[in-house]
Amino acid sequence: MNVRKNVVMFIGITQEVIGVFAIAFACVLYFNIFDTRINLEIPFEHVSFYILLLFVFGFVSILSGLFLIRERLELGGGNS
Amino acid sequence: MSKTKTPRELGLFQAVIIGLGGAIGIEIFVLLNYATSLAESRIVLALFVCGIINLLTMLSFCELGAAIPRVGGEYSYAKAALGGFLAFLTGWLRWIGNVFGAALAAIGFAYHILYFMPLDIISLDKSLLTTLLAAAVIVVLTVLSIRGVRQMGTIIVIAFIAVFIIFIAVGVSRTRGLELQLYYPTTFEESSGFVAAITYTLLMFLGMRAIAAGGAVMKKPGKNIPRAIILSAVTLIVLYCGIAYVTISVVNFDTDVTRPTDLPLSIAAGKILGDAGALVLTIAGIIAALSSLSTAIMVQSSITRGLSRDGYLPRSLLSSHRRFKTPYVALIFGSVFYILFAATGVLEFIGSVAAFASLLGFALVNFSLMKLRVKKPYLQRPFKVPLYPYTPIAGIALSIILLVFIEPRALASSIGFIALGLLAYYLKMVGYHRIRIAFGGMSIGLGGFTTLAAHLVNMNYPLPFALSPQFARILFPILVVISVISILAGVFNIISKN
Repeated sequence: MNVRKNVVMFIGITQEVIGVFAIAFACVLYFNIFDTRINLEIPFEHVSFYILLLFVFGFVSILSGLFLIRERLELGGGNS
Repeated sequence: MSKTKTPRELGLFQAVIIGLGGAIGIEIFVLLNYATSLAESRIVLALFVCGIINLLTMLSFCELGAAIPRVGGEYSYAKAALGGFLAFLTGWLRWIGNVFGAALAAIGFAYHILYFMPLDIISLDKSLLTTLLAAAVIVVLTVLSIRGVRQMGTIIVIAFIAVFIIFIAVGVSRTRGLELQLYYPTTFEESSGFVAAITYTLLMFLGMRAIAAGGAVMKKPGKNIPRAIILSAVTLIVLYCGIAYVTISVVNFDTDVTRPTDLPLSIAAGKILGDAGALVLTIAGIIAALSSLSTAIMVQSSITRGLSRDGYLPRSLLSSHRRFKTPYVALIFGSVFYILFAATGVLEFIGSVAAFASLLGFALVNFSLMKLRVKKPYLQRPFKVPLYPYTPIAGIALSIILLVFIEPRALASSIGFIALGLLAYYLKMVGYHRIRIAFGGMSIGLGGFTTLAAHLVNMNYPLPFALSPQFARILFPILVVISVISILAGVFNIISKN
């Protein structure tokens, strides 16, 4: 069904964007761009934990999104 | 399949040259700096011990190389002996070691070129210039490899040995009378620095495994292989210890070598042979870098093709160039990683990761040898490791002990690379569909976690970081959207058709 294929594509792309933003935010936090750490009052010893969390979240989101996009592009999303 | 007998044409001299040619590269020019900072004047002793440790595993390489004369080196040995994940891991480690070795050679090349550049007239930052030069040499040598240009031969190896002998002979005669402390480490700090230096300098001897590749075409392999291995190892130990001795005798590492780009060998040659000596050693460094890089490029493409042939990497990496008949996709694939790692510019890190991969690979090669002795006792072995099983057991034990002394950041990164390899392996073994279901499950889990976070933000629950009320109002709908998308993506991944 076309609706399912389009929904899958939309969710895949959105999840990719979310993943990229999560990793970008991790970089912002690491380099303390815009004084993010100060503004969010994140203690220095917690920074590495948040970065790890964001990286895991971003990595899983990007891969999960890629699976969906691949399904839409290469496999045509099945014949349901 | 018809079986043809390979003619045995390599003599002892050629075998030794192969071993020396494989081992003498950029490593002695660039690793001495950091290694000396670790072991101080004990670096000479560290190099000696390192050579002996390397010799143990080289014997295993030679037994396997003569018994399994196939392209692919340790990957082929581990495939025959162990199979499964351990075989893949051996190939993967060789690939990692090779890629980092190539990055090391590229940075070494850049350092040696920078020696000729008067930095006060260059407006570019030195680290940026190092990266640009390293990237440029990788691109040029990759293009040359695609065009099928071969690496350097016997004459270059002999020329290198001649330059080193002159350096050591003149150096020893000029520094006669200087006292050099060659004492054993006594405190814990001294011992850990000493062992760390052994680990780090192991790369200088690694190329000796090239002898194993020639084992199948060697005359009287039972006699010539151990002789070639021992002769190469002794020559390398004498050369490297001599170079290190002369260098630390004439170079003050506190005042003369202040930047990572400073070249201890060139400085030492400048002090004992004058400007001409420094020039010769720097040119030798450039040639060594080019030689190491071109060898690494060719070996990398061979491992990449082996791994993609077995389905661990994409099949497209097997493509050959229509005109030059060279594996251009595999060559370009590798060069992207060389540039990426060379761009870090941190020589100690790159050298340590390469050492980690090689040490773990050493342990697996020794283990392959032991396993193969049990699994295929009647396999024709033109050469057998002496003092079996003590030699491979010592090889495994020493490799694992040395692993502990790898620089922590490099150790963490190396474990990350192994995790990536694990992912690639399970993608092949478990199958695409199951991996997708696993990621679908993780996505739903993250969606649930985000829903909880959204709830906490909405309820003004005390969080471990500060959120202004305005920001919390914006964040709540964003978190809700993220959780909905994550859960839906997870569900779609799980219910997808195989």
